[in-house]
Amino acid sequence: MQKIGMTTTVPMEVIYAAGMIPVDLNNIFITHENPQSLVEEAEIAGYPRNLCAWIKGLYTTTLQNEDIRTIIAVTQGDCSNTHALMETLEMAGVKVIPFAFPFDRDYDLLKLQMEKLIESLGTSWEAVQRTKARLEQVRQRVKELDRLTWQGDRVSGWDNHLFQVSCSDFEGDPEAFASRLDTYLAELPQRNPIKADIRLAYIGVPPIMDDLYDYLEERGARVVFNEVQRQFTMPFAIDDIVEQYRTYSYPYGIFYRLEDITRELERRQVDGVIHYAQSFCYRQIEDLIIRQKLKYPILTLEGDKPNKLDARTRMRLDAFLDILR
Amino acid sequence: MLCGIDLGSRNVKVALRDQDGSLSFHKFDTVSFYREHGRAVEGQLRVDFAALGLGVPERVVATGYGRQTINLQGAEIIPELKAHVLGAIQQTNLTDFTLLDLGGQDSKVVLVARGKMLDFQTNDKCAASTGRYLENMAAVLDIDLAELSRHYENPVDLSSTCAIFGETELIGKVVEGHTLASLAAGVNYTIFKRIKPMLKKLMSDTIVFTGGVARNQALVKILERELGVPVVVPTHPQFNGAIGCCSYALE
Repeated sequence: MQKIGMTTTVPMEVIYAAGMIPVDLNNIFITHENPQSLVEEAEIAGYPRNLCAWIKGLYTTTLQNEDIRTIIAVTQGDCSNTHALMETLEMAGVKVIPFAFPFDRDYDLLKLQMEKLIESLGTSWEAVQRTKARLEQVRQRVKELDRLTWQGDRVSGWDNHLFQVSCSDFEGDPEAFASRLDTYLAELPQRNPIKADIRLAYIGVPPIMDDLYDYLEERGARVVFNEVQRQFTMPFAIDDIVEQYRTYSYPYGIFYRLEDITRELERRQVDGVIHYAQSFCYRQIEDLIIRQKLKYPILTLEGDKPNKLDARTRMRLDAFLDILR
Repeated sequence: MLCGIDLGSRNVKVALRDQDGSLSFHKFDTVSFYREHGRAVEGQLRVDFAALGLGVPERVVATGYGRQTINLQGAEIIPELKAHVLGAIQQTNLTDFTLLDLGGQDSKVVLVARGKMLDFQTNDKCAASTGRYLENMAAVLDIDLAELSRHYENPVDLSSTCAIFGETELIGKVVEGHTLASLAAGVNYTIFKRIKPMLKKLMSDTIVFTGGVARNQALVKILERELGVPVVVPTHPQFNGAIGCCSYALE
């Protein structure tokens, strides 16, 4: 089956309905044995040093995975660096299908975008709707995992992150993913409870370092809310698929995202918020809005390179936990 | 005797507190401290205190950038900002202030109210507002840090925020024929411009200024003039973190 790369979450029901396999390029990049080498490769090709590492990682990842010759690039609702990513990949012979989430969450415009994607991949609304029902089975289980994260004490922040972030493409095989998740959920009662007196929320794009959650848990704090990762699971059960991708908050403005964030912070009873922004990302500017709107202690983290927390970030995390205690 | 150690990027600072409460201070170059006086034993750094002339302390509390990478044997480790807040309270007897700590490679601003840390800011991965920047710039001007820290009037405008590119820009200003006083004032002002956004976010009625850069009197004057609040520099600004560690040990 043909693989279709994607730069961030798009209506993947369309890809599965077309009998193709969606591949979230971010997941391939960050699980590479040496993600930093992919970033450096892009810099050698001419990508600026002072630019988001994700974009550079996606560039090299696409070039290295020769079975992915078509990608869907999100041209609106994600960063504008994607435009140049599309162009440089086109130069390298990759077919690029643009997809735009309308900034104002306009229903008709979003429907039109989905319609064009359906046409482009050669499927139909009926097949897409059937696929949505199929994926709903898997999403229900992920929702349970998320519920157990904040209502129980056995799901670690990292597991919550990993299972939810994987919902951007279900690792190319929704049923296999669901089965792995079932095993995890079944084994949960045997796990040791996580001892943590501080409950944290993590908001912003997924972290480029993979040791953040463990570092926090070693210091008696745990993440009970992963904002964007949860959005990848389409947490709002809505029958209309256009509406589903209209309520999905990640590609839209910060004020809309804050509605979801505020609701969840309250519900999950968190003590503090970590706002993560990638270095050189426009979302770093939105930090000032987040700080004004959320009435919680906030630590702003900036991640640059994969894959481990640097000394400065660890120092800041320690200080933040100290404030919360 | 209690021992507080601040493992900094440029210097290791040690404060010793005797039973009568008197403090004594020792400073070591960071690299030679690790190279000559420490050795790794089972993943921990063992330091020979006696050989350093520090006696045998009953209790050792340590902090600093090094604390993340070096596990000092026999020492209790506390977060860096906590140590600095405790040190500032101990040294000034103040409980409500904005702490500004400018060290060898990093800058920190902490808002303290009723003796508790409320919020903080740190510099991004750049040494442009730190002691290292001042050292580089003094070297370009061929003056020492004491001379550099005398000037704050008629500063030349230096726009570069990078400690390395700043040198090139400063050389350009030298060529333009500005006086040494203006050049030095420009360097000091650049530090202020860099930390101003952090201070503005966490302002209070008093600034407590610590770290090696706090010995720069020009910067103290600039802070007072631009922000309109008193700037308190404790007696031992560079040993503030180590003193905080002693305070913690005493608790």
